[in-house]
Amino acid sequence: MPARPDYWRILTQPLIRQNPVTLQILGICSALAVTTTLVTSLTMSVSLTVVLTLSTGIISAIRRHIPDSIRLIVQIVIVASLVIVIDQILQAYFAEISRALSVYVGLITTNCLVLGRTEAYARHHFPIPAMIDGFGNGLGYSLILIVIGGLRELLGKGALFGIQILPLADAGGWFTPLSLMLLAPSAFFLLGLLVWAIRWILPEQAEASEHPEALRPEPAE
Amino acid sequence: MSRGLWSRETVALMLIASCLPMTLSWLWFGGLLELAELSLTLLAVSMWHIVFMLLRAQPPSLSAVTTAIAIAMLAPEELGVFRMVLGISFGVVMGELVFGGWGRNVVNPATVTLSFLGFGFPSFVWPIFDEPVAWAVLPAALIGMATGAMPAAVVLGATIFGAIAFMWGGLSEPVIMVAGIVLVLVVADPVTSAATTLGRWINGGLYAALTTLFAVGWAGAAPVQIAVAAALLSSLAAPLLDETALAIWVGRRRRRHGRS
Repeated sequence: MPARPDYWRILTQPLIRQNPVTLQILGICSALAVTTTLVTSLTMSVSLTVVLTLSTGIISAIRRHIPDSIRLIVQIVIVASLVIVIDQILQAYFAEISRALSVYVGLITTNCLVLGRTEAYARHHFPIPAMIDGFGNGLGYSLILIVIGGLRELLGKGALFGIQILPLADAGGWFTPLSLMLLAPSAFFLLGLLVWAIRWILPEQAEASEHPEALRPEPAE
Repeated sequence: MSRGLWSRETVALMLIASCLPMTLSWLWFGGLLELAELSLTLLAVSMWHIVFMLLRAQPPSLSAVTTAIAIAMLAPEELGVFRMVLGISFGVVMGELVFGGWGRNVVNPATVTLSFLGFGFPSFVWPIFDEPVAWAVLPAALIGMATGAMPAAVVLGATIFGAIAFMWGGLSEPVIMVAGIVLVLVVADPVTSAATTLGRWINGGLYAALTTLFAVGWAGAAPVQIAVAAALLSSLAAPLLDETALAIWVGRRRRRHGRS
């Protein structure tokens, strides 16, 4: 490891280039479930970023004391304790949002993204870079969640943060809400389109073809 | 996959030819309004084919015409230009073109478009058809099967199961008429229906069975809605049916010849 790791790089790499959701396809379950409105996506993003930053920090601090054979259990215990704290805070101060998020805050415990970062990065690095990495990955996750949540709320209800942006046809405006956007499939579509757009701009993210060229003849014309 | 005269485009032409009697009678009864709708869908579908030709070098296909006909005939009425183009853009791009064009898609673009429009704008009324249009299904199926463009086993499987369900009383006449139109337009599609003979029989039967199930158990659904939902689900099941047919075939060979 270099003496001074490039903190800026660690922070910004997971935003687009190594984005946990669109490149590694981690944390999809919650990304699809909570993005019906911008408020819930934002809350979920903040919760996950906080949990991820703190848990990578704690695990990195005790990384030399965790026995290898039970490291996953230790990691899950740490993550779960943090998640419970966050969940209690949400229930205490943001009861309505907490109800809208239902089980998904609790499910941060099993989010592949959290375990992935603690397992792959925090276990091998000093606490400061580990926390920066966790924070950057949390921001990358938040970016995708906020984009998808914003699009879904804007197209599905014509609103952002519950404030009407586009005048609804019922109220004399021109916008007919796409009720499909509030259903789960639309999150899949939007995420797929987003991944497609990103891989179009950054072709190095595209996965290698599963089939060799010789087995895929062009359609005859 | 071309042999002599037969290429992908010949198959597309045969499909257009088989749909033609039905489409013309539909235009005859519908008049100028339906002609305008067909022009709009044709324009939108071809636009996406051309966009994908220019951006990704995918050869455009005449199958755009069958897709446009199916969407124009089956889409909910009075959607307006914007919603129609939105639905077509979604269905044609996500259902067909992202997979590499006609021949590589797993679901029929028209089915995807219609499902999208149905789920996205549930307040619009689904179309109803005049009886002669439904009768024109017969020549369409015959031309399609005779030229080999439509998989005969799918059509026959659906017909046999539909006849049984009709005699049992599960299918009413309006549903049968619409189910026939949907069968020749999107279900009996050589690309997205099953590819093995056994799979095709089951695919046709499954379509008729799902239509019956929805007709009996889905309160308040329009006939077109029922048939399109059945078409979507049966085309999603097609790869599974193929896989099953192949597994049966492999198992039979293994029993007959020992380890293969």
